[in-house]
Amino acid sequence: MPRAIELRSITKRFGSFVANEGVNLAVKRGSIHAIIGENGAGKTTLMNVLFGLLQPDEGEILIDEKPVVLPNPAAAIANGIGMVHQHFKLVPSLTVADNVFLGMEILKGGLIDHAAQIARTAELSRQFGLKVDPTERVGLLSVGIEQRIEILKVLVRGARTIILDEPTAVLTPQESRDLFETLRGFVAKGMTVLFISHHLEEVMEVSDTVTVLRHGKEVATRPTAELTKSDLVQMMVGRLVSFDRRPRGPVSGSRVLAVDDLWARDDRGLHALHGVSFDVRAGEIVGIAGVAGNGQTELAEVLSGLRPSTHGSVRLGETPLTGLSARAIRGAGVAHVPGDRLVRGVDRNASVSLNLLMGRQDKAPWSRGGIINRGYLADQSKALIERFDIRTRSAAAPVKSLSGGNIQKVVLAREFSGDARCLLIDQPTRGVDIGATEAIHTEIMRQREAGRAILLISVQLDELIALADRILVMFAGRIMGDLDGGAVSEERLGFLMAGVDEHGHHVEREMAS
Amino acid sequence: MNDRISALSGQALAIMIALALGAMVILAVSESPLHVLLTLLDGAFGNPERILGTLLQTTPILICGVAACISLRGGLFNIGIEGQLFMGGFAATWIGFSFEMPPVLHVMAGLGFAAFAGLAWVAIPAFFRARYQTNEVVSTILANYVAVLITSYLTINIFKRAGGAPDTPPILESAYLPQLFSFSRANWGLVIGLVLAIGAHFFFTRTARGYAVTEMGANPKFAEYGGIDIKKQTFFLMLASGAVGGLAGGIESLGVHHRFMEGFAPGFGFDGVIAALLANGNPLGTIVTALFFGALRSGSLLLEVDTTASREIITVIQALIILAVSAQILVRRRATDSSAGERRWKF
Repeated sequence: MPRAIELRSITKRFGSFVANEGVNLAVKRGSIHAIIGENGAGKTTLMNVLFGLLQPDEGEILIDEKPVVLPNPAAAIANGIGMVHQHFKLVPSLTVADNVFLGMEILKGGLIDHAAQIARTAELSRQFGLKVDPTERVGLLSVGIEQRIEILKVLVRGARTIILDEPTAVLTPQESRDLFETLRGFVAKGMTVLFISHHLEEVMEVSDTVTVLRHGKEVATRPTAELTKSDLVQMMVGRLVSFDRRPRGPVSGSRVLAVDDLWARDDRGLHALHGVSFDVRAGEIVGIAGVAGNGQTELAEVLSGLRPSTHGSVRLGETPLTGLSARAIRGAGVAHVPGDRLVRGVDRNASVSLNLLMGRQDKAPWSRGGIINRGYLADQSKALIERFDIRTRSAAAPVKSLSGGNIQKVVLAREFSGDARCLLIDQPTRGVDIGATEAIHTEIMRQREAGRAILLISVQLDELIALADRILVMFAGRIMGDLDGGAVSEERLGFLMAGVDEHGHHVEREMAS
Repeated sequence: MNDRISALSGQALAIMIALALGAMVILAVSESPLHVLLTLLDGAFGNPERILGTLLQTTPILICGVAACISLRGGLFNIGIEGQLFMGGFAATWIGFSFEMPPVLHVMAGLGFAAFAGLAWVAIPAFFRARYQTNEVVSTILANYVAVLITSYLTINIFKRAGGAPDTPPILESAYLPQLFSFSRANWGLVIGLVLAIGAHFFFTRTARGYAVTEMGANPKFAEYGGIDIKKQTFFLMLASGAVGGLAGGIESLGVHHRFMEGFAPGFGFDGVIAALLANGNPLGTIVTALFFGALRSGSLLLEVDTTASREIITVIQALIILAVSAQILVRRRATDSSAGERRWKF
C-alpha cells in the first residue's frame, strides 16, 4: 500500500535536550495511525516537525513518497497536511462559516461572500458527516463542535492527511465516539489520519496501526490488531532498570493520611475517581502508578483542596480534610508538589526567594504584624538554596532563569521545609535531568526518614520502584492493586495499568459504556 | 532586572513614538512643533506659580493612578475610578456644607466619607468579580456613567445653590483642605497622594497581604495553590482601589473647588488609569507619569494663549500615548507570556 507520510530518522534537539532521536514513521494511505507514548515522549514534537512548525535537526520527510522540505505550516498545508491542535484557535464572535474560511475568505467584488461560505461549509459538513450549523456563532458552541470546526478548517484547505493532537482530551465519551466515527469516514474516503494519544482504549478501538514512542525514540510500530493493552503499556513505560531501589528500614509509623471511598469529577464532569481508598503511614512512601490520565492528577488536586470531591472522606490523623480549602489543608499539615510545576508550582517572573515564601507569608517568623521579615527570608533563602543545591545566580534571580530541575528544587525546598506531616508529591522528576533526579530522590528518602507520610504520584515506574514502600496502581479512577514496592513484577504492573485485575477481569472505562 | 529595563525602555519608546506622531499633527495644523513643546514646558514649569499649577493638576491624576495600581497589581482592572472620584467628590462636598465641625475633624470626616463613597461605588462590581468572575472592566465602566449622572442629578435637582450655576452650596471653611502656598490652589492633597503612592509601594513589596495579591495578579493558579483566598483578596483589593478613587474626588472638592458642580474634575480618573499603566502598575513610577500628564494639562493653558495650536492638541497627544503604550504592552506580552493566561487582564 502506498505511503502517505514517511519520516526517516528524524532528530530534533532543544538545546541539550533531545525530543526526538532518529524516529522513523511510515503511515499507509487510507489508514488510521496512532502515536502513543507518555507525556514528554516526543509525540507532539514529532507532529510539529511534520506540520512544519519545527525544523528537524536531522532526517527527512516524504509525502506521497516524494521528499519535501516544510519550512512552515503553509508548506505542509500545500502538501495536503492538516493539523488539529489540542487547543483550538477559533474566534468566538464569528460564525462557524466565517471561522472555517478565516484567512481564505471567499470574496465577491472585494467583499466577503457569506452566502457562498455558508453553502460550502454546509456541503463539507454533509459530505464528511461533521454536524454543524454554519450560521451559528462559535462562542455559543460546545467543545465537541468546536473541534468539528477545526476539522472543517483543515478540510477546506484541502488536507488529505489529518493530524490530531490528543483529540479526545477535551471531549465527553459521546463526543469521542462521534469523532471516531468521523475518522473512520475519512479513511473510507481514502484520506489518512494520524492521531496522538496516551489513552490505550482509544488507540485499541480506532487505530489500524500504532507507533509507540518513549523518551523521544520509536519503540515499535505494529498493526493494532496484533497487540493487547498490556503490550502497549509495556512498550510505553519500558523496562524497569534505570534506578536501584533505595535501601530503607521497615515502616513502623502510625496512620497519617486516610482516604476512604473518594469520588471526584474531572474538568469535563466525568468521574475521575471511582471510590478510591488507601492509607499512608508516617515514614512511609506510597506510590501511585498508572498511565497518565487515569485519575492521578485529580487525586492530587482533591487531596490538596484544589478540586472538590463528590463523595468520600479524607483525614489527616484525626482531622477531617474533606471539603476544606487549599489554605486550610495546608494549615492542617499537607504540603504539595504539583505535577504542573510551571503553571501552579511557581511564579516564574518572581525571584527564587519570593517563590520560597509562598504559603507561609502570614506566619511568624516569615512575617510579623503583617510585615514580611526580609532578613529572615534572605537567610532562609540562602540556607534552602544551599541545602537543596539549587543552582541559581542569587536568591533574587527570577525563577524562569533556572533550569527545569532547579525550578523543581525550588518547589521541593519550599514544600519540604515547612512542618507538614504529609507530603503529596506529583511527578517530582518530570522533565528533570538525571543528576537532579538523583538528588530529588535522595531528598524524598530523607523526608521518609524524618517520619513524614509521603504520597508519590509518578508515571515513571522505575522511580516508584526506587522509592515506594507500597505501589498502588490506578486505572480509570480506581485502585487496581496494592503491591509491595520491594517485590513488584513488571508483568503484574503492566496488567494492572492496562486495567486487568488479578483475576484476569478487564475493568471498563466510563467511555466504553 | 533585564525585564524591568526592557519594560522601561519599551514605555519610553512608546512615548517617543507618540510625541513624534503628535509633532506631525502639530505640523499639520501649521505650527512649529518645537515652539509648541517649548510653550508647553514654559506653561508647565516656567515660574513657581506655573509649577504649582502643574502640581495642582498632578494631584488627582496621581491619586487616581495609585487607585489603578492597587487593582492592577492583583490582576484586576478597575477602570471605574472616574465614577468613584465623582461619588467621592460629591460625598465630601455634602459633608462640607451640611455639617458644622471643628476644622481638622471636618476635613477628615469629609475625606473619610469620600473614601467610603468610592468604596461603596465599586462594591457591586467587586462582589460580582470576586463571586462570579464577572468582567470588572465592563461593570466598572458602566458604573462610571451612572456615577456622573447621579451626582449631576443630586447637584441640579436636590442640592442646587440658589442662583444661576448648577453648583451645590459651597462647603464651610472648616472643611477646606489647606493650600500649600497662598498663591496657588495646590493643596495638601499632593502630600496625601505622595504618601499613598509610597504606602502602596510599601504594601506591595513589604507586607504579607501585598505579596499575596501581587502573586494573585502574577499567577493566580500559583496563588490559589499556595492557599491564597482569591475571591476574598479580589473583593477587598477592588474595595481598596475604589476607596482611593473616592478619596481623590474628596480632595478635589475640599482642596480645589470647595463645592460640587457639573463636569467636576473631568477625565482625572481615566488619566490616572493611563498614568498607572504607563508606570506598569508601579505606584512610585506613577508619581512620575502623573506629573507628566499633569504638566501636559497645565502647560496646555499657555498653549492657547501663545500659539495658534488649540489645547485640544494635548488630548490628541494623550490619545496617541495611550495607543502607543497599549500596542507596546501587547507586543511585549506576546513576546514574554507565550504560556498564556498568566495575567488576567488583556488589552
